Amino acid sequence: MAELILPDSRRCHYFFLYDGSKVRGEDDPTRKGICYFYPEETPLDKQDLLCSQLAGVGRCVSELSSSQVSTLRLRRCKFAIRMKDDFFWALGCSVDTPTVSVCELLHQLINLFCFYNGPVRMSYELNSRETLAARWTCFLSHLLSAQSPLHYIFSCLRTMDLTNVDPLLLLKAALILQACQRCPLVLAGCIIFKGRVVSTQLSPELTMKVMVHEREMYNKAQRTNGTSAPGSFGCAVSSTGVFLTPPELQHLRSPPVNKDSSSHSSSQKDALPRRSRLSRTLSDTPSSEPEPSDPTSPHSSQKLSVHPHWSELDNSVFSPTPTQSAAGSTTCSPRAQRPSSSQRRNSHKAEEETLHKFYYQSFHDSTRGVSQIEGEESSTCEGNLHLNGGDGACETEFDFSGPSANVKTVSGDNEACCRSTKDHMTEVKHLTLPHPHTLESNEQSSLIAMTLYVHRVNSLVLALLVEPHFLNDTASIEEVYHSSLASLNGLEAHLHTISPAAPEPAGQYLFAHYDCIQNTLTTNVSGRAVGALEHPFVRATSLLHSHFCSTETLQEAIIRSAGTAVYGTRNVAQETFFQQLGGPPRNSGIPNHQDSAFSLPSKARHRLLKHGVNLL
Amino acid sequence: MTTKTSLLKVILLGDGGVGKSSIMNRYVTNKFDAHLFHTIGVEFLNKDLEVDSRQVTLQIWDTAGQERFRSLRTPFYRGSDCCLLTFSVDDHQSFLNLGNWKKEFIYYADVKEPEKFPFVVLGNKVDVTERQVSTEEARQWCQENGDYPYYETSAKDATNVAVAFEEAVRRVLAAEERTVHLIPTDTVKLHRKPRSAAACC
Repeated sequence: MAELILPDSRRCHYFFLYDGSKVRGEDDPTRKGICYFYPEETPLDKQDLLCSQLAGVGRCVSELSSSQVSTLRLRRCKFAIRMKDDFFWALGCSVDTPTVSVCELLHQLINLFCFYNGPVRMSYELNSRETLAARWTCFLSHLLSAQSPLHYIFSCLRTMDLTNVDPLLLLKAALILQACQRCPLVLAGCIIFKGRVVSTQLSPELTMKVMVHEREMYNKAQRTNGTSAPGSFGCAVSSTGVFLTPPELQHLRSPPVNKDSSSHSSSQKDALPRRSRLSRTLSDTPSSEPEPSDPTSPHSSQKLSVHPHWSELDNSVFSPTPTQSAAGSTTCSPRAQRPSSSQRRNSHKAEEETLHKFYYQSFHDSTRGVSQIEGEESSTCEGNLHLNGGDGACETEFDFSGPSANVKTVSGDNEACCRSTKDHMTEVKHLTLPHPHTLESNEQSSLIAMTLYVHRVNSLVLALLVEPHFLNDTASIEEVYHSSLASLNGLEAHLHTISPAAPEPAGQYLFAHYDCIQNTLTTNVSGRAVGALEHPFVRATSLLHSHFCSTETLQEAIIRSAGTAVYGTRNVAQETFFQQLGGPPRNSGIPNHQDSAFSLPSKARHRLLKHGVNLL
Repeated sequence: MTTKTSLLKVILLGDGGVGKSSIMNRYVTNKFDAHLFHTIGVEFLNKDLEVDSRQVTLQIWDTAGQERFRSLRTPFYRGSDCCLLTFSVDDHQSFLNLGNWKKEFIYYADVKEPEKFPFVVLGNKVDVTERQVSTEEARQWCQENGDYPYYETSAKDATNVAVAFEEAVRRVLAAEERTVHLIPTDTVKLHRKPRSAAACC
């Protein structure tokens, strides 16, 4: 038990921010550049060592390849890397953690910091290292305190368990938010109950950021108040300055009509030739066909022609003329900041199979890459080179919903190639993250100050993003306060009476359903401490999720051990994982039609219907 | 003499659209909004006031009038100290339904002695010119159903709203006085709402 829980409690092994501008001369000690190091109790020598090693390797590789580094591997630790100006961030997790999750965690962490503190350079000029260290610690602990290991894998929002909530209450919450928007200074907001989202008008990313402040305020109140008497209706209104990126702000300010049209681009995307179901037999006709969803099966030609996201990605990245990209951005730049998770994850390519290898790609080399996937990567690299060159004007460079024609040609003509070198210690991955990382890091300089208004009613919180001068406008504050107070009181009372969901009868099945668009998770794996029963499921889910991210054409897969099997399926909008518990597994070692694993897809379909998950 | 503040729960019941939310908002924030959404479930606001030199925090619960919200609102009837039965003078049906609202309240609030429970009746929207319910008609109903005080209010122009709530408070305090006399005087009043703990059936 203990060793099962331990890895979760230390999800992040290291995190540091290193300021290279502080260490210029030969005599400058490394520690002068260490702005923040987690865990803070790490001996200084070790801090020095890690910072200098990783920063050195990162810089070296990025200079050699003229592109940024996104992950490094050092022994049993996988580091997500971000380099911006003279700053160098690294976040290290155990190698078991999917690369996507590590990168996403670092991405979220930096975004969170910038959301509350503004551009990093500026905040380090205005504040002491100690003050900001406390904030990094706070943000990190917030991100690491996921509801469950599954939430951690998917980096998803904490949401209410909606199975027990009357839909009318969700409507009530949505109406409260709408009523607040009658004040023109209010952009949008969300409602949170006991640290979980009830209703939100914000993008998942923005919602996540907003929730941190709410939790901090709550913790503070708990510390000062001690235990508040039940029945006393303590209300509190507070506000804090926050920083939004231009696309975030544009999206919030754009009238709903435009929002519709921007989200329309995603439906257009869906209308593109859909990926053919490569593994139709797995779920549709349980037959004796051998594992059809084998991720290694060669579908590369199909992959290029049918994959909508990649095509967009490549297209945007390869657009050679700034005019073309700029034209694209006028139509859909709001979306650019919030690509769907599946898009986001496209950029992280398969990595597990290349462990223990040191390789990097360079387009100066002319030999063809190790695999098709890496070839793709290098093409992405070139795109980023192009992007980095156009520093500052980055937002105009992205166009994810542009026409996706001729992708095959683009890839084929691509002279970028890969070279792999072996080394036993480190693995370097190139910037395969064309967005939103680069996008947003370039935008740090142009962050826009806004205000976060928070109104707490016991366990319920109304958080609104408002124009900064809202706070000087007494009439507006009163309007928003009074128009929402009674409803918030009522909603709190309603949600308070909801009893926690009755625990599922154990021993039936486990499932996890991830909504990539809303960034939410529905699962019957509960609790922070995952028991021995759930552990294989969590591991398999992590692995499958990783594969889904890296292999875009993969739609269904079964991972099995001698004792059990976990089924995973996904489409553009969601990923679903299912494990049947109990019952003797009929597993002969080679696939045959009596194998119980092949009944998993149909079982998943039937069992998950009652959870509102439709796999048909 | 005493400055102890007591919390009184007052609940507004009545058909959808008679103006319960508006009455509450008028009383607490002195504002009127003609474009309110339907109330979903329940809402409440607190208001401190002094009645007959007693400090009171009035907790006014506003409920959804529509039938489809019934299951959401009824759990919150319990523990009410006073019930304001509301109808709209320009809607005769809302007046006819007062009896049903009273029954619903008594059932779900689990009132032990319904005949002694303080109800107040409000005829809202007196600012409207086309009345469907006359003052006499309303007074007669109040007389016949337990001699309830009746107020004609308008949330729109603030007519009688404060008066009605103050009357509600007086009723509650008077009812409490009667209970207090049954208890030795220098004890702490823990059982202001004994009925909620009482067994039903």
